[in-house]
Amino acid sequence: MGYGQTAGEQPRAPQSAAQGEPLLALENITKEFPGVKALQGVSFNLRRHEVHAVCGENGAGKSTLMKIISGVFPPTSGRIVYKGQPRQFASPLEAEAVGIAIIHQELNLVPHLSVAENIYLAREPRRGFLIDRRKLRADAKACLDRLGVAVDPDRLVRELSVAQCQMVEIAKALSLNAEVLIMDEPTSSLTEQETRLLFKVIHDLKAAGVGIIYISHRLDEMAEIVDRVTVLRDGRYVATDDFAMTSVDEIVARMVGRSLEEKFPERTSRPTSDVILAVRGLTRNGVFSDIDFELRRGEILGFAGLMGAGRTEVARAIFGADAIDAGTVTLEGRQLVIRSPRDAIAAGLAYLSEDRKAQGLAVKMPVDANMTLANMDEVSNRFGLIDFAKHAKAAREYIDLLSIKTPSIKQPVRLLSGGNQQKIIIGKWLFRKSRVLFFDEPTRGIDVGAKFAIYKIMDELAAEGIGVVLISSELPEILGMTDRVCVFHHGRITGVLETARTSQEEIMHYASGYGRPDSRH
Amino acid sequence: MTMTVTTPPAKSPARSGGRLSDRQKDLLQKFAALGSLLVLIVVFSLTSSAFFTVNNGMTIALQVTSIALLGIGATCVIITGGIDLSVGSVLALAGVVAALAVKELGMPVPIAMMIGILTGSLCGVINGVLVTKMRLPPFIATLGMMLIARGVALQITGARAVSGLGESFGELGNGALFRVVTIGDDGFPNVAFPGIPYPVILMVVIALAVALMLNRSVLGRHIYAVGSNAEAARLSGVNVSGVTCFTYILSGSLAGLTGCVLMSRLVTAQPNEGVMYELDAIASAVIGGTSLIGGVGTISGTFIGSFVIGILRNGLNMNGVSAFTQQIIIGLVILLTVWIDQLRNRR
Repeated sequence: MGYGQTAGEQPRAPQSAAQGEPLLALENITKEFPGVKALQGVSFNLRRHEVHAVCGENGAGKSTLMKIISGVFPPTSGRIVYKGQPRQFASPLEAEAVGIAIIHQELNLVPHLSVAENIYLAREPRRGFLIDRRKLRADAKACLDRLGVAVDPDRLVRELSVAQCQMVEIAKALSLNAEVLIMDEPTSSLTEQETRLLFKVIHDLKAAGVGIIYISHRLDEMAEIVDRVTVLRDGRYVATDDFAMTSVDEIVARMVGRSLEEKFPERTSRPTSDVILAVRGLTRNGVFSDIDFELRRGEILGFAGLMGAGRTEVARAIFGADAIDAGTVTLEGRQLVIRSPRDAIAAGLAYLSEDRKAQGLAVKMPVDANMTLANMDEVSNRFGLIDFAKHAKAAREYIDLLSIKTPSIKQPVRLLSGGNQQKIIIGKWLFRKSRVLFFDEPTRGIDVGAKFAIYKIMDELAAEGIGVVLISSELPEILGMTDRVCVFHHGRITGVLETARTSQEEIMHYASGYGRPDSRH
Repeated sequence: MTMTVTTPPAKSPARSGGRLSDRQKDLLQKFAALGSLLVLIVVFSLTSSAFFTVNNGMTIALQVTSIALLGIGATCVIITGGIDLSVGSVLALAGVVAALAVKELGMPVPIAMMIGILTGSLCGVINGVLVTKMRLPPFIATLGMMLIARGVALQITGARAVSGLGESFGELGNGALFRVVTIGDDGFPNVAFPGIPYPVILMVVIALAVALMLNRSVLGRHIYAVGSNAEAARLSGVNVSGVTCFTYILSGSLAGLTGCVLMSRLVTAQPNEGVMYELDAIASAVIGGTSLIGGVGTISGTFIGSFVIGILRNGLNMNGVSAFTQQIIIGLVILLTVWIDQLRNRR
């Protein structure tokens, strides 16, 4: 992997960005959602022959900006100027029609159709009423050849690798004669070799005059292809620089903006030697193996690692959501037998899913019903009938305790902001009197202010003696909030580090599977 | 590498369009169904003098019982995100089993009918197992049951009606509470008040009980939770399989009861009874605002929905509208109400 590479060590891409009038310019863009200002006064421009990176933390507004450029929704205010003319796109189709194409991270291909059919979907060459299959195939082949990709246009998309799908998406964009190409995390699921191929394609497109907006968290890779970089933070524009004139450190500093101390509350809980949760030899065949860790009273334990390293899977297995093949879980000295989430919940465990809407909330149901869902026994009588006075009292108690902003306890939770939704899930588990809470990416897609509130709650829980495990892909969050970190790599824990004595670099080292940093060379 | 993070999920999209608040839309839906019910009553009262009478009211109530009983079961199943297509066949099987128990095995009527109802429950158990354990789509599982139950009903009766069941078999379907009969001057009995038919009492009691279960019990809360988000419910400790199974068993049992009531009314068990009743049941739930996506629905709505269908049929009959035209009109009503539902749920 590209760990440790910096801009200076890499050969720079030839600077071919033409000066002069930008291909695409966004002026003073603001976008408001109910309760959230996603973008405030952001300006951005893209030239021909240029790869322009957009960087920022989660929630910085990158995706919102790209959706405005590609016509998914209009800005609340501000101007889009494309090829010198002010434009308003009512839909992605309109943006595509004038040559602005986006390649989403979650690829938008139809799995049961062939490569050629996908490239020309809804634009099939026709002969009368019928599709001209020969022309369809030939045109698709020409597109793929132009990219230098060896994919058979007749293959079904579901048989392709992720990288090949990405190439098909790019071919589709080319077939649209796209002049602006937006790539959202294009390398996140590619191997190094596939990344090489992608970069070569990007070089060729750039030479052909296409302007490319490149979104990635992998700053180390950018040196090879990026000409300019724009940093967003909390929905605001921070800076635009020539990549050659800046450094990875400078970009990171701009992305984070504040020092860690300001982003995270002061920790009040102190770790003790009292073990709440002990996990020994936990194994789920083919997913993770031999997971050992201990969670102590008063501490926040971090789970760090790359996507797919097994952090979420371990938490889900401990919680009984997925089966295990071996290993033991001991809570406060009692060994647990967990076959389903019901067993785990009864024992006092709680898992807060990384995907709130799909796995955490019954989104059509009101606040109070979600809050009490895991502990209905507490608000019902022995005949199984709900005591609505107790029910409302419980909901109000946790709305106050966690400062949840909702117009009423009967508000459907889908109408609340992400931060308030997350607090409702926390409230649900506190009402269940859970002893150990696994927070899986608890601040994903949440406003900066709400993040701070969630961190503060986590600290208070730990101080009260509740076990807290924080699963996070954001290393600043791990460093800012935890006492110790278990680092995962390929379904194993490769290191357990004291947070106070480690660094992003050391954690990434273990996460990449290199073992101890000093045994590296 | 500085950070490894996936792309942030999109900010929750703004709820655009629709100037009405959710509560207003819910009220609109309720009143749309209730309002159309009232409009129907007014129109039919004006066009036919025999419509708005106590006698006809009881007739309608009696006719509506089967739709409403099946609709109550359908509502619970649909709230969990499922569907039950088998109830029309299951009611035929249950009625036939009850009749055969009386005629062939010489059982007392109450026990025979209990066996009929349990036959329906058993069909529900099988549906539930097919859906939760074998993970068949509810549409397919209950479609299979629809064919199987009908086939068994035809097989065990040789496709012939079972008759000669005796007067006591007809008591449940034809009896009534508070029936007032006076003997007139001419010596013939004069019905002052037709009484409240037993099936109507049964329908009201069961509707109240299931409404109580859905609104006030933990089980009901879990039914809504499963339909709103099954995975979130499971991760909150809800026994999703158990809750889902329960709704199919309830639906099957109510189908069994409906079968016994219907056959009792005719004092004859017809293996061909109840064809397409499942569609009336689903339609009554949908007209009453139950969402086929799951998570939304009320018994009061379904009750109104089944009366809309029942009154349409009765009123159109009284006005001499042909059976074919009736189908067209009921079809249009279903389309209209579901369209209103779509408007309500549009984002």
